[in-house]
Amino acid sequence: MDLTPRTDGAGVPVRRRRRWAPMVVVALALVAGGVVVTKFLTSAIDYYCNVDEIGVRDGCDGDRRIRVQGIVRKDTLEKKDGTTAFTLEWNGKSIDVSYLGDPGGVFQECIPVVAHGRLDGAGFDSDRIEVKHTNEYQEKNKSRFDEANEEAAACSVSEG
Amino acid sequence: MEHASFIIASYVLTFGSIAAYAAWVVRRGRAMARRATREEMPWT
Amino acid sequence: MTPTAAHATTGTPATRRLGAVVAVLLALLVMSGLWWSAEDVVQGSTVRIMYVHVPSIWVAYMAFALTAVCSGAYVSGRSRSVAWDRVAGASAEIGVLFVAVSLVTGSLWGRLTWGTYWVWDARLTSTAFLFITYVGYLAVRRLGGTLRQRARRSSVIALLAVLEIPLVHFSVELWRSLHQEASVANPNARVELDGLMLFTLMLGLATFTALFVWLLLHRQRVILLEDTVADRGLDEAIASRRDEAGAR
Repeated sequence: MDLTPRTDGAGVPVRRRRRWAPMVVVALALVAGGVVVTKFLTSAIDYYCNVDEIGVRDGCDGDRRIRVQGIVRKDTLEKKDGTTAFTLEWNGKSIDVSYLGDPGGVFQECIPVVAHGRLDGAGFDSDRIEVKHTNEYQEKNKSRFDEANEEAAACSVSEG
Repeated sequence: MEHASFIIASYVLTFGSIAAYAAWVVRRGRAMARRATREEMPWT
Repeated sequence: MTPTAAHATTGTPATRRLGAVVAVLLALLVMSGLWWSAEDVVQGSTVRIMYVHVPSIWVAYMAFALTAVCSGAYVSGRSRSVAWDRVAGASAEIGVLFVAVSLVTGSLWGRLTWGTYWVWDARLTSTAFLFITYVGYLAVRRLGGTLRQRARRSSVIALLAVLEIPLVHFSVELWRSLHQEASVANPNARVELDGLMLFTLMLGLATFTALFVWLLLHRQRVILLEDTVADRGLDEAIASRRDEAGAR
């Protein structure tokens, strides 16, 4: 053993013994990193199309599962027999969407959403809806908005 | 307040975890400081 | 000289004053976040989660950036002082805590707004990856070896890992994402938050930054003490071996 006096503390071992717990954590972190990247890549398989790209952009056509992004058009939302139907629009183009169930979140008219599913003729048959929200925030009940105008305010927030 | 349970849970989780970490750091600091000399603690 | 009970702490009058300021700011943040600020016209009360979610990820970014700066200072400095490495380690540990908080609060916020706790979307996935990377960094720091070995290997990881931060932040611009663009630090430099909402968010950022400084001051002192005590433990073991050898 080298018992030569040290000149500073930086060269001495913090812990001489090899520690297993950190090694296990490092291994788990590597595995978890791999899982996360794999999940991201597999979930990105479905093309992410805006409404105006359907049938125009490569991959945004009828024979595959896609994700469609658009804004729920005002006065088109209908909930009937457990089905939610509405029209999605983007850049002047629109598509009718049918979803079995209640989308949840802050789903409402004039808000951007992402619908997962397949094209069904001229419409879109969705089995999953995710609601987007913008980075714009407006105070509710502010003097310039009365209750009656709040829905319109929501539309102006979403449409910019 | 709508969705109060989610909102309160967010605040409790945030401040609870930070408080728990801060308490651990302070306790660990005291335990370590008792084993150190004043010369080894340049801030004293 | 062993310290008296009053000195056996990592605190100083300055950190105690900072702690008091942080406590007051936290109280103000809770009041403003939960009561004083108004609901959002689209999200309603759910927007209140933003006041802890955004400052958490801000502190995490800042902490990881500081870890990289200190690691760079260690690697490039002539003295190779391990003090830089201690600050880097302390900062990364605090960053991991805050990125975890951000992931959990973001998940709760997502359930209320998007309708789902989690999606494998670019922002969420890259944030999860950032968290995992720094958990790995902290584990690597505990693998053993000398202080210099610890500093050297963790510096390399920190300097590589920090490159993930711009990827996380700009992921919403680079890929189509469910996550909204940044509310404040966005490329368009447009801040679309009404009065008290913006104030509360800024208060959150200031409060969490002060909290980070307080935690960092204490944690890096604790790491210094841990290293000192471990160092002394080895000195004592060597002295004991010498005594044993002398007695034979």
